[in-house]
Amino acid sequence: MSFEDWYRADRLPHIFCAGCGNGTIINCTLAAVEQMNWKREETVFVSGIGCSSRAPGYILTDSLHTTHGRAIAFATGVKMANPDLHVVVFTGDGDLAAIGGNHFIHGCRRNIDLTVVCMNNQIYGMTGGQGSPTTPKGALSTTTPYGCAETPFDLCDLAIAAGANYVSRWTSYHVKELEKAVKVGLETPGFSFIEALVQCPTAFGRRNKFRQVADHIEFLKTHSLLRAKRDRLLEKGEPVPEDMFVVGELMRRNRPAIGVKP
Amino acid sequence: MKLVIDENRCKGCNLCTKVCPYHIFREGKKLNRKGIAVPELDRPERCTNCRLRNLYGRQLCGVCQLTCPDQAIHWIDEEPYEPHKVAIEY
Repeated sequence: MSFEDWYRADRLPHIFCAGCGNGTIINCTLAAVEQMNWKREETVFVSGIGCSSRAPGYILTDSLHTTHGRAIAFATGVKMANPDLHVVVFTGDGDLAAIGGNHFIHGCRRNIDLTVVCMNNQIYGMTGGQGSPTTPKGALSTTTPYGCAETPFDLCDLAIAAGANYVSRWTSYHVKELEKAVKVGLETPGFSFIEALVQCPTAFGRRNKFRQVADHIEFLKTHSLLRAKRDRLLEKGEPVPEDMFVVGELMRRNRPAIGVKP
Repeated sequence: MKLVIDENRCKGCNLCTKVCPYHIFREGKKLNRKGIAVPELDRPERCTNCRLRNLYGRQLCGVCQLTCPDQAIHWIDEEPYEPHKVAIEY
């Protein structure tokens, strides 16, 4: 048995562009789900709207493809209606941070037993490359042709502040670490949030000097700062580099959760 | 075990050439029926999973399979008595 058995072989190859990282994140998530020994009938994948949210259509379990931004709201309903089900939510940054931001923070506040995998490609890829709440400062997109002037959302900090039980961030380069993080998230009772930064060669990379997919992967590799290293830098009082993002397990705690079977 | 790239699924992003620790994948030059240059295998008998999967009874490495966004890379069992090349690395 490998994670490939969870795919609907007749639906592949999928619709994602060449070099899109979403397929990698689905691989890692399914590899983690595979290790949990869950039955297919008891696993549900929920998604909203966007590139990333096409993922459950390629997975051989029951799934919900819901309205824009409401994936966590629907998943809450699924979990409360039948707490025996294992619910995994696939979502993107436009889905989770922009239109579904409120559902996200209230999902964290209630600490409901879900695992949310956010594929953050830092742009609205499906609609043609508009700037999203997580577009980094200075990045070009169709709605920010002179460079994005706003401060991007840090989704992990948001989840920690709102009260999620498990929060971690990895990229599509760190596949093994991401697989382990998703597995810990699936095991943790309560809300677990895993943010995965992915490359988007068609909408983001094309406008931001990452024409080759490998260039963007190299960027993700070189600009990720491990959390332990960040902590060491802070301890020594040295400045943390501005252009780097922190990866690793950012929070693990035991707040009271709902939807957990006793 | 034998390393196989599924030509129907591969979209030619060449991410596998980037992540393999042995650099087994090389950028392909010949276009296939769909107009995609599928990566070539450079001495695939060096692959850890090919050599030692059956000995250890579990998946080893497997980064290329996890990274491939199009699920095009997988391993198949060899036919009995398939000729092998011996690769010695110093």
